[in-house]
Amino acid sequence: MLHHTVLRVVSKLLIPVIMLFALYVQFHGDYSPGGGFQAGVIFAAAIILYALLFGLDNTLEVLPPDLLQWTAALGVLIFAGVGIDTVLMGGNFLDYNRLAADGPAGQHLGIFLVELGVGITVTSVMLLLYYAFAGRNPGK
Amino acid sequence: MEAVLDILSWILIVIGGTFGIIGGLGIVRLPTFFTRIHAAGMTETMCAAPIVLAMMLQAGWSLVTFKLAAILLFLFLTSPTSSHALAKAALHGGVDPMATRDPEEPEEAEG
Amino acid sequence: MIEPVIDILLLAFMIVIALAVVRMRDLFGVAMLFSLFSLLSAGVFTVMDAADVAFTEAAVGAGISTILMLATLTRTARRERPRAKGVPILPLTVVFITGALLVFGTSDLPRLGDPDAPIHQHVADRYLQRSGEEIGIPNVVTSVLASYRGYDTLGETAVIFTAGIAVIALLGLRRRRPRQERKTDGRDALGETTVMPTAGMADERVPGRPEKGGDG
Repeated sequence: MLHHTVLRVVSKLLIPVIMLFALYVQFHGDYSPGGGFQAGVIFAAAIILYALLFGLDNTLEVLPPDLLQWTAALGVLIFAGVGIDTVLMGGNFLDYNRLAADGPAGQHLGIFLVELGVGITVTSVMLLLYYAFAGRNPGK
Repeated sequence: MEAVLDILSWILIVIGGTFGIIGGLGIVRLPTFFTRIHAAGMTETMCAAPIVLAMMLQAGWSLVTFKLAAILLFLFLTSPTSSHALAKAALHGGVDPMATRDPEEPEEAEG
Repeated sequence: MIEPVIDILLLAFMIVIALAVVRMRDLFGVAMLFSLFSLLSAGVFTVMDAADVAFTEAAVGAGISTILMLATLTRTARRERPRAKGVPILPLTVVFITGALLVFGTSDLPRLGDPDAPIHQHVADRYLQRSGEEIGIPNVVTSVLASYRGYDTLGETAVIFTAGIAVIALLGLRRRRPRQERKTDGRDALGETTVMPTAGMADERVPGRPEKGGDG
């Protein structure tokens, strides 16, 4: 009998659904409660569930901490990059109207990119925190 | 038709609330840890299902009903699993599953 | 009419949980109570019609924060050390005086949800009225967070990133052990699962034989 049979079967059903829901919350943040922070936390929760049931070593193979350090910085860079892009286009810092032809279209694009950056950073940092705490042998 | 739906929703919500109260009583009054998991795990799902069904009746045929059905399915999958995980962790952590132990009988290993 | 009743119930539960957190010595139970506290505060936010905030509080407080606290508990002791006997007079007076000053300060605050409060007068009004035509998305919270106050959100994201690298700098990360070493050290890849549910012990226990006194 497998180690943790019931939990593994149910989590194999649920982890893709949780990730899909995280993506839904991320990109639907314009129309319903959501956005980058919640989506990042939910996505990190799915990976942590996998790490709890299938072993931290397997999770480190899927998402090595070196990659996560890069993506954590990438999220902040995307956000700041959008700001610098608007400055290069002639507007103020983070003035999304400059990103596209007219105002609301530029705002849509700006908010989309900015929330994407936030989501990526929050996921990476939550996972890095979990790796840092759970990766050691228990103290007592 | 509206009145029938309303009455049906009321009945379902009251049933769900009753199950919730029964579960709460069980958690407070039952003696050991595993009996309490039994009370909490079963009544948790039975409490949520009629309430969600009542909300589905109130919402009619719309996107909200489909989302509520998805939530109900998710609850049916995860709530018993979390009770199982809790009981499994408690068993491995060393909580004694027998409510009372007769000191004369030899200890038997539980499956 | 029913809203204040729900508010009072939820806040009363939160007070009880806060008192229980202070009194409990078992840190595992305290972590669980923190999770419950976050869930109840998410409920309070929902009653106040703040859906985004409730969503974030439930996800972060009742989800990730609990997991990280439990993961921290695997590295420290599980019970809090009992404090020394005797009533601490000086800290008690300081706390009382500070609390009294705070309560006196709240008498000057406007009522909850008062539309004439100063915070609703200057830019909040403009955001609510002009968000539809300037930004064009239905969710005003997202438009304020990401567009009108985008600079603050950039600061928030930088703070989260800084917290992450601070923890890594302090604690360090475990490198993945190569497959050969994992196969030959007597434990398979499954041996390290469930650090938390098994409270740090990776090998199977024989069920029915309690190793330590469990809480009945």
